[in-house]
Amino acid sequence: MFGMNGALTVFRREFAAYFNSPIAYIFIIAFLVLNSGLFMTGFFLTGTADLRAFLGNLPIFLIFFIPAVSMRLWAEDKRLGTFELLMTLPIGAGQVMLGKFLAAFAFYLIALAGTLPLPIMISVLGNPDLGAMVSGYIGAALLGALYLGIGTFTSGLMRDQISAVILGIMACFVVFIVGVPGVAATIDGWIPGLGAFLQHFVGLSSHYENMLRGVISMGGLTYFLGMTAVFLTLNTLWLEGRKY
Amino acid sequence: MIEVRGITKNFGTMRALDDVSFRLERGEILGFLGPNGAGKSTTMKIITTFLAPDSGSVEVDGIDVLEKPLEVRGKIGYLPENVPLYTDMNVHEYLSFVGKARGLGGNALRDRLDWCVEACGLLTEYRKTIGELSKGYKQRTGLAQALIHDPDILILDEPTSGLDPLQIIGIRDLIKRLAGSKTIIFSTHILQEVAPVTDRVVIINEGRIIADGNVGELSKDAMGGVRLYVGVQAESEMVEAALRNLGDLKELKPLAAGDGQCRFEIRAAFDADLTRRINDLVRKEGWQLKELHESPYNLEDTFISLTRRSQEQSRKGVA
Repeated sequence: MFGMNGALTVFRREFAAYFNSPIAYIFIIAFLVLNSGLFMTGFFLTGTADLRAFLGNLPIFLIFFIPAVSMRLWAEDKRLGTFELLMTLPIGAGQVMLGKFLAAFAFYLIALAGTLPLPIMISVLGNPDLGAMVSGYIGAALLGALYLGIGTFTSGLMRDQISAVILGIMACFVVFIVGVPGVAATIDGWIPGLGAFLQHFVGLSSHYENMLRGVISMGGLTYFLGMTAVFLTLNTLWLEGRKY
Repeated sequence: MIEVRGITKNFGTMRALDDVSFRLERGEILGFLGPNGAGKSTTMKIITTFLAPDSGSVEVDGIDVLEKPLEVRGKIGYLPENVPLYTDMNVHEYLSFVGKARGLGGNALRDRLDWCVEACGLLTEYRKTIGELSKGYKQRTGLAQALIHDPDILILDEPTSGLDPLQIIGIRDLIKRLAGSKTIIFSTHILQEVAPVTDRVVIINEGRIIADGNVGELSKDAMGGVRLYVGVQAESEMVEAALRNLGDLKELKPLAAGDGQCRFEIRAAFDADLTRRINDLVRKEGWQLKELHESPYNLEDTFISLTRRSQEQSRKGVA
């Protein structure tokens, strides 16, 4: 009805809401301290000038971090009663969803941007592969978007934030674990072909690994953006279907 | 303006609404009454497109709520029962958010903010965080939210719940102020609140409409007659016997009275002449008249009588 204005209005509200409580700052500080700490340990052990020690751990670290960021998106509105307000505004559920998702994504990007001193430090100390670092960061952003899509969806399913975060962690874990080669091989042992299928079409590891190596492929982009879109669409369908 | 046709809604195995129909003309105010859990909120949620009916249809200003929900939402200002407030925002931020989400901006938004803050008496709390407001101010903020886009239609679910008497009068005055220019449905379980605002009521019980119409007519219909109070300075038994001689009274009930006086409550079939005949009797006997008046049944009596009748009917239906 009002173009993208609805999504933009919701985005502004949700983004401000993150910073209206101290939780946002705690999240960002925890994100930076843990990731930098993990990175520095690995960095000094291996002595190689790349971001693998940071970005390589991100798929596991974000399984816990992202659902904690997204858990409030819908569950909080249900607790406050504002869910009924949002669903009776003259903007579609899809726009409200988009505004919320983008607010959480922007919040994550801010946390991610806080780690930029790491590549700068590496560049000063050594001769890193700049392309691999850039594509690694793009991969990290896309990885966050995917987990946030899952987290937004699970937050919509649940009435309270604790259930939302637990379900979100489990769902993110599944998407991560089926992409791990060893796990895929085990599944293939039970049902031949299924493991390989899940590893490539659902699992994220192979696509993410490519990006860490500096390869941004059409397949990789399609995987991350497509999977994110799938979960956001599911979220919208759930919101639309809820009233019946 | 609002046309509800035969809507039914089930929650699991529980039937929340059963063939509910009523209509409302432009500018009308409707008091929507019923005990807790009768289906008031569910009906309102369906009109505001928050829920969809299992069957039946609702049209708002000629637009079907299932076909074009966004258009319907644009026309309605809605205050849900659980006042939907972002407790981390202040009143200004919150009302601006709702205004923008409803497509307002610039001067139009500023004008509406000014109007709502004045009309809802929020000026002193305008920059306070909503989480810190008192219950009354939270309720007013919720009401301001429903008015921000100057909607043609207002749906207010228990707008006065939890407020003190002065605040209730404030909300009532606001509704009166909006009367005429807006079509309003408000639900309540406090019946005294209805009469000062409107005489059109719909009463719902156990998901079914049990009455729809003017308060006065509903009372006569539900109670089947009139109620009179008589008080005279005379001996009680003598007066009672004389009153019984007047004809077919449904009920004659002695009431407590002062020394040497007696009072009675009389219920009778509708009879324009009864008051005059009692007056003649008192004069003929030479009693000193202290009190004689017809007292209309209030909404409370009507409500209790109607809901009891409907409950008895549904029990018979089950048996």
